Amino acid sequence: MLGGQIETAEFPEFDDIYCKYCFTYGQDWVITTGLEEGFTQAAKKSTDDRQIFIWNFPLDVTFKSTNPYGWPQLVLSVYGLDMFGKGVVRGYGACHLPTTPGRHTRRIPMFVPESTSKFQKFISWIIGRRPEYVDQKVVAQGEGREVTRVRSQGYVTVTFNIITKDMKKLGYDCSPSDTVNSQSTEMAGLSMPVTPRTLGTAEAT
Amino acid sequence: MAEVHIVGQIQGATGFPEHSLFCKWGIHAGGAWRIINGQREGQTQVDLPQNEAVAVWSHPIDIHYATKGLQGWPKVHVQVWHQDSFGRNELYGYGFVHIPTSPGIHDIECPTWKPAGSWSEQVMQYFVGGGPQLRNPDLVYSGADRYSLKTMAMGKVHLQLSIITRNFDRYGVEC
Repeated sequence: MLGGQIETAEFPEFDDIYCKYCFTYGQDWVITTGLEEGFTQAAKKSTDDRQIFIWNFPLDVTFKSTNPYGWPQLVLSVYGLDMFGKGVVRGYGACHLPTTPGRHTRRIPMFVPESTSKFQKFISWIIGRRPEYVDQKVVAQGEGREVTRVRSQGYVTVTFNIITKDMKKLGYDCSPSDTVNSQSTEMAGLSMPVTPRTLGTAEAT
Repeated sequence: MAEVHIVGQIQGATGFPEHSLFCKWGIHAGGAWRIINGQREGQTQVDLPQNEAVAVWSHPIDIHYATKGLQGWPKVHVQVWHQDSFGRNELYGYGFVHIPTSPGIHDIECPTWKPAGSWSEQVMQYFVGGGPQLRNPDLVYSGADRYSLKTMAMGKVHLQLSIITRNFDRYGVEC
């Protein structure tokens, strides 16, 4: 289970921005409660010298899975308004949800895709539209990234409170304390073939 | 079989002399290790930072290994490349780190190095660009045949990896 919030953002170049979040996860994962995606309010930059945006936006989601592969990721895309009031993308970012129970803070660096050629750059400057991803979930994927050029700008800070359930019961060790206290009773060698146990339903994260 | 999940990100790089960097990465493991799910190698995006001397890749890693033995615990090896304004790629560094053996979240810094050529090669590199590369990139994560190599220091690659192990205690392995 996850409880957390999108706290603040640092984008010194921009004045008012809002954030869209969504979760991506593998095929064995299901959301049992909570919203998979959402929008924050449009925040203005603070006028003091911190120069930050505060969203204070809650994230409350519960996932369940039979397999840690495809561990969920939080994908953020930050949009701002240009001088004509149109929404323009100001940053994409992603991070995995922490795998260990407890409180975690992540400072996620954000980046925007760049035009691949000078000509496209000129065209996008004329019509006032930046390149953006068709599907924001590509920032959480490993494939096909070698062709993209990005410019990194700004950070978003997110806190997570993670609770896991039944991980130990299914044989998974997530944090160092799991193994320190574990009692090794069997003397079986590692190379001995063992038939894999079938998995029950794990509730994780 | 015991299982290991590696979930995390190649976050980025610091300390390199130029911006506009990308990274080719791979994970190498011994013969007893088998990949059940996930990609073993890949290449990150090219980052041109706006403000800071940090390259941001945020490249996700999610691999599920099953193993029959502990020999050849997986290692991540990286190659950092620089892309110049003409789109030419130049090698900036090699490095590797072991995947941590204890479960939990780990922030890892991978120091990198690159081969240094002779004096004349360095002069040529200054004017023409390019530079020496390893003919056999396996050298990055093996200790053999390194003695004849002259190298120079480059920046660091930052990784954040979460390790989840399964059934290790059933075999009496404490990691």
